[in-house]
Amino acid sequence: VAKAVDLRYVSTLIACLLGGAAGFGAVRVVAAQQNPPSEHDVQAAYLYNFGRFVEWPAGAIPQDRFAVCVLGADPFGKTLDGVLDGLSIGGRRVVARRMATSDAASGCQILFISASEEKQLYATLESLKSRSILTVSDIPQFAQRGGMIQFVTVANRVRFEINLARAQQAGLAIRSDLLKVALVVRKDSRPGE
Amino acid sequence: MTVVPAQRRSSISRRLTWMNMVVSGAGLLLAFSASIAYELWTSRDVTIRNLAIQADIIGSNSVSALTFNDPAAAQTTLQALSDAPHIASAGIYTAEGQLFAGYSRNADAVSLPAPSIPPGETQVARFDGRLMGVARRVTFEGKPIGLVYIRSDLREVYGRLLRYAATAGVILLASLIAALMASRLSQRAISVPIVQLAETVQSVSHNHDYAVRATPSGGADEVRVLEDAFNEMLATIQQHQQELQKAHDHLEERVRMRTQELNTANKELEAFSYSVSHDLRAPLRHITGFSALLEQRAGSTLDDDSRRYLKTIVSASTRMGRLIDDLLAFSRLGRANVTKARVSLRDLVDQARAEVSSQAGDRQVVWRVAPSLPDVHADPNLLQLALVNLLSNALKYTGTRQLAEIDVGIHPNGQDRVVLFVRDNGVGFDMQYAGKLFGVFQRLHGTDEFEGTGIGLANVRRIIRRHGGDVWADAEVDRGATFYLSLPVEG
Repeated sequence: VAKAVDLRYVSTLIACLLGGAAGFGAVRVVAAQQNPPSEHDVQAAYLYNFGRFVEWPAGAIPQDRFAVCVLGADPFGKTLDGVLDGLSIGGRRVVARRMATSDAASGCQILFISASEEKQLYATLESLKSRSILTVSDIPQFAQRGGMIQFVTVANRVRFEINLARAQQAGLAIRSDLLKVALVVRKDSRPGE
Repeated sequence: MTVVPAQRRSSISRRLTWMNMVVSGAGLLLAFSASIAYELWTSRDVTIRNLAIQADIIGSNSVSALTFNDPAAAQTTLQALSDAPHIASAGIYTAEGQLFAGYSRNADAVSLPAPSIPPGETQVARFDGRLMGVARRVTFEGKPIGLVYIRSDLREVYGRLLRYAATAGVILLASLIAALMASRLSQRAISVPIVQLAETVQSVSHNHDYAVRATPSGGADEVRVLEDAFNEMLATIQQHQQELQKAHDHLEERVRMRTQELNTANKELEAFSYSVSHDLRAPLRHITGFSALLEQRAGSTLDDDSRRYLKTIVSASTRMGRLIDDLLAFSRLGRANVTKARVSLRDLVDQARAEVSSQAGDRQVVWRVAPSLPDVHADPNLLQLALVNLLSNALKYTGTRQLAEIDVGIHPNGQDRVVLFVRDNGVGFDMQYAGKLFGVFQRLHGTDEFEGTGIGLANVRRIIRRHGGDVWADAEVDRGATFYLSLPVEG
């Protein structure tokens, strides 16, 4: 291994000598991001990523599927299907579902509650309270009002708040990595604060 | 005999000490050099491994930050590196290779583009002469999600090497001191006996005392062999010396005995010749007397031949009488007491000259006597007799010369002796007969040519020898002769 590394040193050194100036210039080049992803594109990806940082109770999840559901008016459209296509979590194929009422959400692991559901949010959350479903939304004060993860856009960047107490009540274990990158972590259980 | 200085006497022990020191020092230096080289070689691998571990920790702590695009969280993770002073810079890059979060010890340091990691590898190490860099892939659930590039200066390595070198120096010093002490101890076994032996050898060669023996050091090694051989050699030398001394003593004894025997024989011989000479005189006197009477009484009645016979008998017996007288005189010289006194050589030469001058008759003789002659310690009568003989000889053998020249002087190369010479311009003699010159009745010329019995030079030699001196001559036929006599300055 040491020999291979040595050879790499040598070749790197030669490369640096030959194209020193060009290489130095390249240091400062910051590739411009083409077609910056939209807020909902990022949120769609995050919905999947949340699944990788949260543990569900053993019996609350089917063996072969991992459902990411959207309740109410779907803001993602085909993006969500595109993002989730071919992905899996813990060996389970990830599928996208859309539904109109929370009654249909019993088979979901992650439920995105659309802004269209804001009016009946309290009732919806109450109905999901006893189930091991990770609730996510971009409705303002969603985390304060009993939701688990709330998207917040700060300086054109999608961030999120976590209501850890509510997730724990639902039997979900959120990994500390996720808490670390969360904007706010709420540990009190009182809703409507 | 040169005396060996003390510092050279101890050179063996010094050399042994030096040898020990050099060997142990060189060994330790070699060992330390090898370990430092090895340390240098391995420390790079160690550094790479440590950097890889750190990159791994940063990477796994940055998974969520990368996943949820949170550079601030990644920055916080990187900030923990400020506790590691050797980390120069670190960067977290996205899977696309863009800088996600950066950390640098010096605020002005430019964040570098991450090196690309070849597919199938998890990390790449780079060394640019000053900084060691390790780039390591960040994976989450088997998928690459980014890259951590961390660079360390080699302060830690060099610091370790410095501590290593310092430790090595201390150990080296301690080892050398230990080696010094050890060699001091071991010297007792090797160099001390050798130095002792050398001192014994020196004392033997200095004092020629072969009774000395080297003290056995008690070892069983080559030094002991050396001591034994040396002692054996000394014993042999001592034995030989004793035998030599014995032989010498014996020889001296024999010489003394022989000398005594010789002296006795010599005295007997002398007494015999004296008494013979003495006893021969009476009958000879009768022969001479009655021959003379016969000549008077019957001379006129005898024919010419008978008268000539009678004349020959008379002259021969007269001559024989003279010979016997001379022999008796010579014999007496051998027995006469030598009464020494301080005498002036000049006075003696002058008296001798006056005594022989009548012998010259009306011949022309040039005497050249050195104006100053030293005083000598001698019997004046005997010495004068010798001088008379020499001067008389000189006059005699210049008898055929129109002008006789006789020089008397002091030879300058006498050293502790006075060497008087008498030189004439007479007939000289052949040097091949020089040995016979001083014998009794030895004559180099016929009596018809120069009269004399041939006892004169024998007398001279006897007198001078009895004074502890010597006589010799130097001559050439027809070109004169020089006689030398040497006398001790004192006594």
